[in-house]
Amino acid sequence: MTTKTRRDLVGLGFISPWLIGFIAFTAWPFLRSIQLSFTRYDIVRPPKWVGVSNYQSLFTNDEVFRNSAWITLKFAAISVPLMIVAGVTLALLLNANIRGIAFYRTVFFLPSIVPTVASTAIFMWILNPQIGLVNGLLSKIGITGPGWLNDPKWALWSLMFMGLWGVGNSMVIYLAGLKDIPIYLYEAAIVDGASPVKRLYKITLPMLTPVIFFNLVMGVISALQYFTQAYIMTNGGPADSTRFYALYLFDRAWRYADMGYASAMAWILFVAIMLLTAALFGTQKRWVHYGG
Amino acid sequence: MAARSLAIVRWIGVSLALVFAIWLYARPARKTDATSLRRYPNRISVRFWHMWSAEWKDVVDRIVDRFNKSQDKYEVIALSVPGGADAKFLLGAMGGDPPDVMAQWNPVIPTWAEGGMLLPFEDIMSPQERAQFERESYPIVKRVGQYKGKTYGFPIGLQVKGVFYMPQAFKEAGIKEFPKTWEELVSVSERLTKRDKEGNIVRLGFMPGSWTETAPLFGGDFYDFKQGTLTLDNPKNLACLENLVAIRKRDGYDAVSRFQSSLNSSSYAGGWPFIVGAFAADVDGPWRVEQISKYAPTLDYATALVPPPKGGTPGAGLGSGNFMIIPRSARQKAGAWAFIKFWSGLEDPEVAAEFYVWGGWLPPSDAVARAPIYQDYMRKHPQFRTFVEAISSPNIRAQPPVAYQVFVNDAITKLEDQALRGEISPGQAVSQLRTKVDQEVLRRKRLGYDE
Repeated sequence: MTTKTRRDLVGLGFISPWLIGFIAFTAWPFLRSIQLSFTRYDIVRPPKWVGVSNYQSLFTNDEVFRNSAWITLKFAAISVPLMIVAGVTLALLLNANIRGIAFYRTVFFLPSIVPTVASTAIFMWILNPQIGLVNGLLSKIGITGPGWLNDPKWALWSLMFMGLWGVGNSMVIYLAGLKDIPIYLYEAAIVDGASPVKRLYKITLPMLTPVIFFNLVMGVISALQYFTQAYIMTNGGPADSTRFYALYLFDRAWRYADMGYASAMAWILFVAIMLLTAALFGTQKRWVHYGG
Repeated sequence: MAARSLAIVRWIGVSLALVFAIWLYARPARKTDATSLRRYPNRISVRFWHMWSAEWKDVVDRIVDRFNKSQDKYEVIALSVPGGADAKFLLGAMGGDPPDVMAQWNPVIPTWAEGGMLLPFEDIMSPQERAQFERESYPIVKRVGQYKGKTYGFPIGLQVKGVFYMPQAFKEAGIKEFPKTWEELVSVSERLTKRDKEGNIVRLGFMPGSWTETAPLFGGDFYDFKQGTLTLDNPKNLACLENLVAIRKRDGYDAVSRFQSSLNSSSYAGGWPFIVGAFAADVDGPWRVEQISKYAPTLDYATALVPPPKGGTPGAGLGSGNFMIIPRSARQKAGAWAFIKFWSGLEDPEVAAEFYVWGGWLPPSDAVARAPIYQDYMRKHPQFRTFVEAISSPNIRAQPPVAYQVFVNDAITKLEDQALRGEISPGQAVSQLRTKVDQEVLRRKRLGYDE
């Protein structure tokens, strides 16, 4: 046995707890679900091969599937850019060299470490149409606030609005990106007479694009798998207006004991995420600047 | 020499890491965990899962304790699984290690029975026990917990709804006695509703039950037990939904929705909206009587059967229950059955009657209801009698016992909600319900399901 092989084996040996866990609990279920997606499987009885019937039903006979896919895409298309704009803006503001900036950064970051379930429960009260904080404040200025989570027209928007609460997480990454921009670029721009706005558009944002790209990819993946908040706050309602894809997948798997169908849904989601991510990577040459 | 020693140490390290990793994942569950919790370690253990929590869990623990003290063969070990119990049960069943018995009230019994994971009680009951069960149970018991003519869910408690109302509120509105017909109740409820200066509802006159709970009063039903078919588009169902939508429209779609969202939806404690005066009349279940006696003992209230519309069906409603299920792969079926008989009163109705008093529950049989302790409870809480009378009615209907019951219930709830928001007409709700369920049946047929 060569020294290299021996060294590799030692390395593998030491990471074996993780490797075994990954193979048993991630890789194997992942691969097995491909097979299950072509079966009728109610968990208790052995899977029965049904060919492409699950996929066929999903695309031709399942209105809830189409609706949930559309809601999820709409959510991703609006909430991801919104989070990027909010995160970058906040990072720019918190990049200022003012007294007590560490305190402000902590304040804005804190919400993102509050457990999702806890913050979700608080927002259920904040957005309560009759006794909630938001509508209470609106009524002070003579506005009757909407039904937020109770109104199909507003429920999805309410969840997007609530997402801003956790913007501190991406804000920290943007802040790190801002700190990484070489100072001499700004010095040169100032010598050339560039205004602050011009410096923002010509230096800061272009130099920040790798971080924006990272958050965009991660944001899209996470938005397409959106589940917890909708499960707790609306459970898909009202009138299916927040029935996200992952929520419907969960129902099919665990409420209707339809694992084969749910596996097919999971694979469609996986392929959709891969395609969207690949498309995003395809665009990065045009707008992401790695120079620095 | 030193390099060789180092290599040996390294290999020992790697081997230990591998052994540790394999042990970590493959080690058997520690037996000490289970035995250390046991009070009777020498008995056969019977693992019991239930979904009750808070005050109800205490009642369940008392019943389990009473059973454990009543004999010396089994020890029931109760575990409260209030969240995600169905998924956990499925995983347990799939892994070959389910509980021996589980209390269940979700509409999953037909689905699980069709999947072959439940034991039909006919397989475990002796002929005498079966005869006693048939003889003493209320009529509705023979319709709930069943699938294809077999009992997969053994009722340990029944549910039927009635009206809880505030006599004082009625009196203040000039209504001397509780209305005899649905139309009358709906009409007077407008006078009972109170609003603030901005038009927000602060007390709703009457909050009807759901579509499925109310439809039987109109002569409707969602399943024909004789034919064994769904009757979702029964014209009486439509009439009922039209009526419910008309009430909501009158009170204000948006106003009621806002009002409801401001209420405490918890079913566990004294925050029940009726207790805090949010409704002058509300449709709810018998367990509320016990809750009121605990959390609002001075509350002045009364109960009544939900009045039928003119030409409707008196004493009608939707009956459901709390069931015990035994997985086919349970290890202690006999112990599970002994526990079920003890709780349900099949063994001794007079002993079991006390459990139903603790929980304020409706028993599955008249034998328990006739027990002196239960009669005392009804004398102490005369409001409870309404529900005991209701449950014995032959007009109590049951949920459709089809394998896709969860899907049907979800579809009904969603379309009812849309109709009550004024987004679709009742007619559209009924027709869309039929279409959705037909599509699901078609999908299931394509996949080769029996139903």
